[in-house]
Amino acid sequence: MEAKPALSIQRSGARQISNFGASGALTSSFPVLEGTYPKFSDSQHLSLERELMHRPPSGVSPLSSTSGVVGHIFSSSSGFSTDLQFSSVQQQEKHPRQPPFISQSTSSVKSAIRPHSVDSQVLQSTASSNFNKENNVPWCTDTLPDFLDFPINTTIQNGQLDGNNSGSIVIASEDLSKPNDWQDWADQLITDDDALTTDWNGLLADTSVADPVPKASYQMSQQSTSFSTQQTHISQQIPGTPGEICNSAGQSSSGNAAPAKQRMRWTPELHEAFVESVNKLGGSERATPKGVLKLMKVESLTIYHVKSHLQKYRTARYKPETTEGVPQVLPSLFAITYILSFLFIILLHHFLYTESSEKRPAATIDELSSLDLKTGIEITEALRLQMEVQKRLHEQLEIQRNLQLRIEEQGKYLQMMFEKQCKSGIDLLKAGPSTGQNSSKELTEAVQNSSAKKNLGVEPSNNETEGQPSNIARKALGETSQLAQEKQSIPEAVQIPEASVDATPDSPSAKRAKINE
Amino acid sequence: MKFGKRLKQQIEQSLPGWRDKFLSYKELKKLLKLISAAAAPPLSGSPEYGKAEAEFMCLLNNEIEKFNAFFMEQEEDFVIRHKELPHRIQKVIDKWGPDGTHPSEFEYREEMAKIRKDIVNFHGEMVLLMNYSNINYTGLAKILKKYDKRTGGVLRLPFIQKVLGQPFFTTDLISKLVKECETTIDMVFPPSQPTGIFHEAMAVPGEGIFRNTVAALLTMEEIRRGSSTYSQFSLPPLNLPDFDVIQSLQVLSPIQIQIP
Repeated sequence: MEAKPALSIQRSGARQISNFGASGALTSSFPVLEGTYPKFSDSQHLSLERELMHRPPSGVSPLSSTSGVVGHIFSSSSGFSTDLQFSSVQQQEKHPRQPPFISQSTSSVKSAIRPHSVDSQVLQSTASSNFNKENNVPWCTDTLPDFLDFPINTTIQNGQLDGNNSGSIVIASEDLSKPNDWQDWADQLITDDDALTTDWNGLLADTSVADPVPKASYQMSQQSTSFSTQQTHISQQIPGTPGEICNSAGQSSSGNAAPAKQRMRWTPELHEAFVESVNKLGGSERATPKGVLKLMKVESLTIYHVKSHLQKYRTARYKPETTEGVPQVLPSLFAITYILSFLFIILLHHFLYTESSEKRPAATIDELSSLDLKTGIEITEALRLQMEVQKRLHEQLEIQRNLQLRIEEQGKYLQMMFEKQCKSGIDLLKAGPSTGQNSSKELTEAVQNSSAKKNLGVEPSNNETEGQPSNIARKALGETSQLAQEKQSIPEAVQIPEASVDATPDSPSAKRAKINE
Repeated sequence: MKFGKRLKQQIEQSLPGWRDKFLSYKELKKLLKLISAAAAPPLSGSPEYGKAEAEFMCLLNNEIEKFNAFFMEQEEDFVIRHKELPHRIQKVIDKWGPDGTHPSEFEYREEMAKIRKDIVNFHGEMVLLMNYSNINYTGLAKILKKYDKRTGGVLRLPFIQKVLGQPFFTTDLISKLVKECETTIDMVFPPSQPTGIFHEAMAVPGEGIFRNTVAALLTMEEIRRGSSTYSQFSLPPLNLPDFDVIQSLQVLSPIQIQIP
């Protein structure tokens, strides 16, 4: 069933939340979310929503304290609902401690992830309908105004919740009305990662608008339809680095409640395809969004993406580079006025003295040229200085980012080792002493290596004064590969290439999953 | 509060349109205080605790959404501008080419000067976006560390792993554009006298990109100067060549010159 992976994610999410210190009763709260989508069709949807609406908040009081946590944590996952990494899904199933947050991936998106975001979005719609009808949890309504005070561009208002993807708060109310007997659903359904196929797309694509409540869900499902279609087709159609679809469910800066308002990550390749299509249609002025969309034949793209992109494109072409209202380099301003005034004087001169020999204007112009040249040079020098500073900052940012990534990798590696140690420690109680020894040996080695790594990490920064930051990255590479040789656990995953960091959590988590079976 | 202050400074000196897009560090810290206050009577099941915790998580996720949205919007703009740049340069070269008549030579130089300025600013903006990404990440890492410390939770590690994959932190594309921009600049600028860039202390006026860049570099150094809680997760101090010279680039208060 298509819904299965979603359920497993949510289940692990439930586990995660119980680890967060919420009460164990929470596991019962999740199944509602999971149980809501055994079959994703309109009628079911309607009936489910009606059920949710009519069902009295039986489990509310015991859950109210912690369900807030549940609600928001889950909403965080929905708020994050973007491409999930397949490996991270696996990770979630295997490591209950992993939160059900969804991370972005720049690589191709696996189909396993889709339903989660779908669920969350549908959830939001059901939640919204619930919220409007059941305001029986005081603390929830209290927190709403707090959120309204947040200095973020949300359009969270009481009346607007249904259509809008203001996910997090909406979810909270949803959770509170969960009945307890949905737990059966969760326990019965199993993870079937391969089940997520385009069937899901088909189902979603067929949802039609009936009445207000399902309309909200339609909007969400439509969104998720395009979202899910994007996922399959993105990985299939566009080679290399595809445009990435990100589901900014909560704070879509587009701001309106229209369907398919996801953010598209425009890559140069995608943009090139766009420009090609536009040119084929006769230029940016004549091309229409619909035409471009058709011509581009990128399944993931919606007309809204194309529309907004076309607008930006037109602005960029016909009003180039007036982005900063304040001039950056003061001398340039003076220089330009200087030049213009001189130009004016020259022309005046020219008109007044046309009878004179041809050499005269040339001489004046020569004088002018030298002056102009001087100011020109000054401007250029000022710009060069600006460039240098900018380059410096860029360099430092790259280094800093690489360091941060490395640090986190190290932390993750240690974590994994500890977990492994714990696991084998538990096994040790049951099995013989040999297992424990091996893993403890590994662990101590890991600790030694990591501390060695840390020391090495601190040292290279002193070499920066030589002005060769690339050495640091190379050293990092050397260290990590050294570590990798000793441990077959986290090999190439930790190698961070110098300038561009391709090390998405993809490979490490996959390997981590493998290691922990 | 050191980071908070630095962040605030950075925000103040950032481009006007960006100011509300940075991390709400103070807000998160307030919520964190609330959480630890609510957790002090150790009722992790108490409503206040749950509520505060929920708010905290919600804000965290909203912030990340905010970063992503803003970042991708900017990135889209940059991709477009980056693509348009060579066309623009070509147009100027064709129109007022080096072998044009004298009057157009002025135009040519003027246009080229404009282009140069624009390219440099474009470059600067992209770098500033990377800085935006980085400083927000740093803030998030700090907040998460505080959270773990105060509540004894294990939020930090997995959450940070997710953050690392977020669009706003995956700045590879921007970095690539920056490098390509530098190549373009080298083509467009006349050959330089290599030394002496940082000889003179220069006043850096305006609210603009240059000012921001200098401020960003200085802030970065300050943040990494050395923390009270140095751990394996802390970044080493920044060792910047020419740092004293950069510091001497006095950052003046903005001069209000409007160009429509």
